[in-house]
Amino acid sequence: MRVLFFTAMSFLFSSVVFAQEIEDHDNMLMDHGGGHLMDMGGGMVMGQNLDTLPGGCDKIATTKEITVHAGHKYAKKFPGRMFAFDVQEYQFEPCTKLTVHFINEDHVRHQWMMHGLPGYLYPKGMFHLEVTGPGKVSGTLILPPGDKTYLVHCDLAQHMEKGMKGQLKVGKGSGDLPSIPGVTEFVVQDDYSGAIPEKLSYNQSTDSASAKAATAKKQQPTASDDSFISGVMVVGLAIGLLLAPLLAKKFKGMTAAEVVTYVFELIKETVNYIIQLINTLIKKASSGKAS
Amino acid sequence: MQKYPLLVLLSGFVALMPFTASAAVNLPKTVKIDPDKPEAVCPKGNAEWREATKIEGVEIQESLRCHPDNPAQVAIEVKGTNNVSMDTLMDTYFAADAITKTNDMDGDGDPDHIIIKLEVTELNGHSPDFDGVVPTFDIAPGIEPGMWVFAPKSRGMATRSFVGLEANPLLRMPSPPIRVEQGDVVWIVLENTHYFPHTIHLHGVDHPWIDSSGEGNDGVPQTSDKFVLPGQSKTYEIRPRQPGTFVYHCHVQTHVHLAMGLVGMFIVEENRPNNWVQTFNVGGGQVRHPAKAILEEYDNEYDLHYHAMDKELHNIVQKYNDPRLIARDMNRRYDMTDSTEDYHVLNGRSFPYTLRESIIVAEPDKKIKTRMFNSSGEILAIHTHGHKGTITHYDGVEHNPDSQIMRDVYDMAPAQRNDIMLSTVDDGLHSYGEGIWIFHDHREKGITTDGMNPGGNVSAVVYKKYLNEEGLPKAIGENIMPLFTKAFSARNYPVWQDIDEWNSLGEVDATGFKNPPPAVPMMVKGPMTLAEAKRNQAKAGNGGGNNSFRNFLVGLMLGIFAYIVVINREKIIALISSKKGEA
Repeated sequence: MRVLFFTAMSFLFSSVVFAQEIEDHDNMLMDHGGGHLMDMGGGMVMGQNLDTLPGGCDKIATTKEITVHAGHKYAKKFPGRMFAFDVQEYQFEPCTKLTVHFINEDHVRHQWMMHGLPGYLYPKGMFHLEVTGPGKVSGTLILPPGDKTYLVHCDLAQHMEKGMKGQLKVGKGSGDLPSIPGVTEFVVQDDYSGAIPEKLSYNQSTDSASAKAATAKKQQPTASDDSFISGVMVVGLAIGLLLAPLLAKKFKGMTAAEVVTYVFELIKETVNYIIQLINTLIKKASSGKAS
Repeated sequence: MQKYPLLVLLSGFVALMPFTASAAVNLPKTVKIDPDKPEAVCPKGNAEWREATKIEGVEIQESLRCHPDNPAQVAIEVKGTNNVSMDTLMDTYFAADAITKTNDMDGDGDPDHIIIKLEVTELNGHSPDFDGVVPTFDIAPGIEPGMWVFAPKSRGMATRSFVGLEANPLLRMPSPPIRVEQGDVVWIVLENTHYFPHTIHLHGVDHPWIDSSGEGNDGVPQTSDKFVLPGQSKTYEIRPRQPGTFVYHCHVQTHVHLAMGLVGMFIVEENRPNNWVQTFNVGGGQVRHPAKAILEEYDNEYDLHYHAMDKELHNIVQKYNDPRLIARDMNRRYDMTDSTEDYHVLNGRSFPYTLRESIIVAEPDKKIKTRMFNSSGEILAIHTHGHKGTITHYDGVEHNPDSQIMRDVYDMAPAQRNDIMLSTVDDGLHSYGEGIWIFHDHREKGITTDGMNPGGNVSAVVYKKYLNEEGLPKAIGENIMPLFTKAFSARNYPVWQDIDEWNSLGEVDATGFKNPPPAVPMMVKGPMTLAEAKRNQAKAGNGGGNNSFRNFLVGLMLGIFAYIVVINREKIIALISSKKGEA
């Protein structure tokens, strides 16, 4: 253990620092035994297994290497997600010796964590790569025999939920896991019923959209007239049209004062007429009752 | 033959009379609500963590509460993740680069360059995979509002273990109190692991408006800073010249981001030689390694962070998975001017959970420094039973020692800090003697959880004499076990169940119960008074319905009118014919 520690330390100090944006943690890691490697910069491998065959594997079937990229930008093709891996699905033969190079392109921690492995070989049944980006960390494991689908994800709060999720099938796998971006649906789905914007045109900035807006502007006066012609206005208009000739006839050759007097007289007459009407109605009713 | 069934029916009725009569006069029965099995009051054990100890050369004070801080964690918070053994580091959830302490620039025996890394964590968030929240952090039994916190950079899983959904101990409310030493060069690295943009504003802390590279350092997107986007990081640089109790919080959509929990205490301790300060005090409460200047005057130190939450806001993150929908609801649909605060927490928990973590352990003739901070949206009025504390500092600035005031209610405006000296000298003023003395908000809603009492931000000053071996108060009041059930939180458990032999204030069970016809009032004391008559009239009005009564009156009037018309028909006819003549 101690020897390993010092070897790793010597590795650390002798390692060439690469002048590249992605920090390579592979040579910084210290082996703490039991498949656990760690450095002081946030790089971590857990469940590393270079040579112990899982029960049921006679030999290493094949040796594979994959490079997994992780980060916010890989969620671009999945609207409504925030973090993702570049690849969502993997498939390998049983008993494959698999080396994963995990490249995190964000400036925060991400993980490539695999669950459900045999507990006697992998502590807590996990194989786990973790690195703070921009950085790279690599680890190796030997996949168990049998057809099984394994979850791979980032276990930071909400990273899997918001898209950083994939599946690794050994053999034929054992079905598909839910809510893998671009592969499977959510179990609990979101309610998008209220998500139809009212002011969609505000968001459109293409030429065709602005042309449409221009035509809409030209038509605007008619459009606003439409909304003004209500039922009440039509009635008023009709009455106005009918009365206009009559009034014109009446007021021909009159002064303003005469017009006002005439209008008042008209009102008086109308009131009188209404009172008379009511009177006759009452009379008719009472006479009917009397007879 | 025909008479027989009638006879049977009649005799049956007579036989049943006593029962029907008793059913008619009795009110519905009382039943007992089964509260389910209460959870353990002090479930986690770790008794050995309570003792005073020394790890990595760090003196760690005794902490007699039920859930003490892990001493290994305290040691790392004091020494930094870079100055401890791998074994100590592995006893905690800290990332290897969470706290880096180097460079004793003034040669006084303590490091002066401190790099603190913070991540942003959502607690009780949504899952698209099952009907539940993750990772969980209960503020009271079964109460899991969605929350955001700044958290010390951790490693591995967000949950405590790979079975269960409970958040690991570094991921919790409140955002941790941060301590630095006056004059330290402090880099606060915000690694935005959340799905929304955030920043850090250092409220009250001495900090330049721009950093050494000319970038914004004030955290305000409208004036100085770019958003720290999801997956990005940003370093804030400070070298605070003044000590005191201050604040850090997110300044993006501050009204909701602060309320969601992105706010914590930021304490600058006075400069002293060989002064290794405890960088984080995760969960607040007792500081197990107080700074040198504090120990010159005090025996113990406590961080008390008060917060409040509107459940309508905190539910939004649990309603959707799509961050765009969450942003829409939070930024545009949620109207804070219509909000009410439902959950009132002290150091991230409500009563009775405060008893596990946030009690103040006292002994006679000691001095305790408490730093109180109000991050809720309203003024708080914290009252200490059994003690009158002295307010020594407001907002990190010392109050003139000659005019410092003693109070038993400490009012704090939103974002305000009060440093309060609690003396346990039993003189009837500073302390009224040993006991279990609660302290709490005296706005009465503050002692509720969503309006249910007991709850809210209640905790207690507990004298050692009254503390049991589990770190719980040896209370001599009513049984508090029902409070540790989800049935109580869910408002299903009658607060006064079993207060006496026959459960006289228990739950009513009116299953199958129908109110019998009301009794007819009988005059026993003579004629009714006017008031009684009026009351009866009003009751009759309510019982019969206003409309039908009015209709009845109208009908009555019409009837009378018709009667008069018929009686006087001769006169009316004459009147009408005379009118006709006129016309």
